Amino acid sequence: MKTTEQKRWHHTSPLAAIFYLGRIYKAIAQNAVQSLAPLAALLFASKGDLVGRMTFGVAVFVASTIIVAFIRYWFFRYRIGDDSILIREGVLKKTQLDIRFNRIQAINTQQNIVFRLFDLVTVQFDTAGSAKQEGHLPAIRSAFADSLKERIRDRRPANAADSDDQTESEIESRSLLQLGIKDMVRIGLSSNRALVFLVLLGPVLDNMENRIEAAIDDSAMLAALDGAGLSIASGIGLVLSVSILFILVLAIASIIGAFLRYHRFELRAENNVLRSIGGLLTRHEHSVNIAKIQSLRAIQNPVLRLFRRFRLRAKQASSGRRSKGKLFIIPICEPAQLRSLGSEVFGDEFAGVDLQPKSPSFRPIAMNFVRSRFLLFGLLPSLLAVLLYFFLLGKAALFFLIWIPVSAFAAWVYYRKYGFAIGANGMVLRKGFIGYQTTAFLFRKVQRISVTQTPRQKRKGLATIRFFLASGSLRLPYVDNQMAKDLRDYILYKVETSRRAWH
Amino acid sequence: MFENPEISLDALPRVDTVDWHGMDPKFTHHKLTASAIAFAIVLVAVALLQTVFRIAFADNPAIGLGWLWLVPLVVGVAGFTWPFVSVPKKGYAVRDKDIIYKSGVFWRTVTAIPFNRIQHVEKSSTPLDRHYHLATLQLFTAGGAGGDLKIHGLSAKTAEKLRTFILNKVGSSVEDD
Repeated sequence: MKTTEQKRWHHTSPLAAIFYLGRIYKAIAQNAVQSLAPLAALLFASKGDLVGRMTFGVAVFVASTIIVAFIRYWFFRYRIGDDSILIREGVLKKTQLDIRFNRIQAINTQQNIVFRLFDLVTVQFDTAGSAKQEGHLPAIRSAFADSLKERIRDRRPANAADSDDQTESEIESRSLLQLGIKDMVRIGLSSNRALVFLVLLGPVLDNMENRIEAAIDDSAMLAALDGAGLSIASGIGLVLSVSILFILVLAIASIIGAFLRYHRFELRAENNVLRSIGGLLTRHEHSVNIAKIQSLRAIQNPVLRLFRRFRLRAKQASSGRRSKGKLFIIPICEPAQLRSLGSEVFGDEFAGVDLQPKSPSFRPIAMNFVRSRFLLFGLLPSLLAVLLYFFLLGKAALFFLIWIPVSAFAAWVYYRKYGFAIGANGMVLRKGFIGYQTTAFLFRKVQRISVTQTPRQKRKGLATIRFFLASGSLRLPYVDNQMAKDLRDYILYKVETSRRAWH
Repeated sequence: MFENPEISLDALPRVDTVDWHGMDPKFTHHKLTASAIAFAIVLVAVALLQTVFRIAFADNPAIGLGWLWLVPLVVGVAGFTWPFVSVPKKGYAVRDKDIIYKSGVFWRTVTAIPFNRIQHVEKSSTPLDRHYHLATLQLFTAGGAGGDLKIHGLSAKTAEKLRTFILNKVGSSVEDD
């Protein structure tokens, strides 16, 4: 008995050390100072020339991390049971993880370039519980990973109902989306990171210009510039061209990032599972059980709008912490695919789901929204600022009045972007400021619903609804009070008569 | 077996027509006691500060901190009037399939939680709660931040009754996949 038990505990491939090496370096990068402090101390304690010390230091660092990675690999063992997978790991602090198959929400795999040579993958299990409960199997044979996935999929209760009309070996697999090289460029240019860089670049450029101007004022510097045959105009030209180059480099970096993450991206539907595969060096495979998707969001920032494309994000139940693993991302898709992917997720239940922000099905919210936002975030703060600073700045404080038209415009834009479309079994909410985001969900997956009225809303017969989903809450402000109540009662009816699991 | 009867909106059970239960009357006393404690703490803190400053700036009486007495005044007035306003606005109602909770003076919120979405129920009581034989019921649903609804100011007996009732309801809601 004991021998068979022990036989069933497996090691993964020694190449798993690479996975741990990656983890170690990531951890070091995250708290660099503390981790490197002992090493630096060692470095300066040893005698010798600086280059020698540096080489020694780097060598010690690399060697020790590799040793640690191998030790971690050696102490990692796993066992596949009938309905769960057991993982034992840890060198000093031993942990044993018991992941039940039916608790697994998603199985994600990653294959870096070395693993690809040896046909190995790293499997990550996403469970509904806390982040600590999430286990991984580094460097196992990809064929074994596939068989494991199939086994877990069969174990999932969501498939139990379908198993009658499907033979086990037969998996219906359809390709829903494939992305090409042009799409990579689009993803790179429209990524939020690129946007953040562009926004951040503004003040940086300002700063740079100021510095250059200050330097130009310095006569010595000016003489030097003159000596080099540069005029002030060409100095400014230099700054401009440098900043344009900077933006270009960032854009290219972002595009390279898109290639690395999403190259040859493919989205497939297999029975009740959405599966995405993509990546240049490391192949990422994500899968999500469609029944576990709580909400589907289409995002269109200004760049994506320019390209007439959307980014899609399916959310699963979250445990509170903002963890990326619970998101299933489709980096880019065409407007037509928005509809087909929507019906893929919601099926017949929400057949008419239309996530396009320009869809005529959207109804506006009440105009009073503009007034309330303007009073609260525009008029009140600017008048307060004028009052406060009047004593300090005198008439210059009137400058704060400029916030009034700006905030009025912002409130108006927000109002215009808000919208909602109600279907028989679900609804779509739209909002945004410089872009759009539309979110669709099924009524039966609502966890909790609240209707709120301010005194003014009460006088005007308006209300704000908040839908609490397992993936977070969504707000629909300033709608007709009667409609809000009807919608609430209808959703409660839908939830309370639903016999299907929401997760 | 799949049924899909047509439903007219008028036939739906309305949240609006429920009979609201108010919070336990002792909850107002509880809140007043809490306010009194807070008031006393602020009062002592301000008095201490005043004494320290008077000693520190004994040679310069121009530096007055008399306006600091406004703080306990505001805390006191708000603390001793607010419970009379806010407690009567709170209420709950239990239906066959859900529990409804209303609260808020300016922002009036009505929240409904279906029993078949409740993950677990927690009953808790602070020493002050226990002094007044009160308890807090916390209902947890799935989903990140704000995944719970707290109902303060139930009598300990009611809270226990509600807890057992809800747990029975949660246990009996069978779900097919």
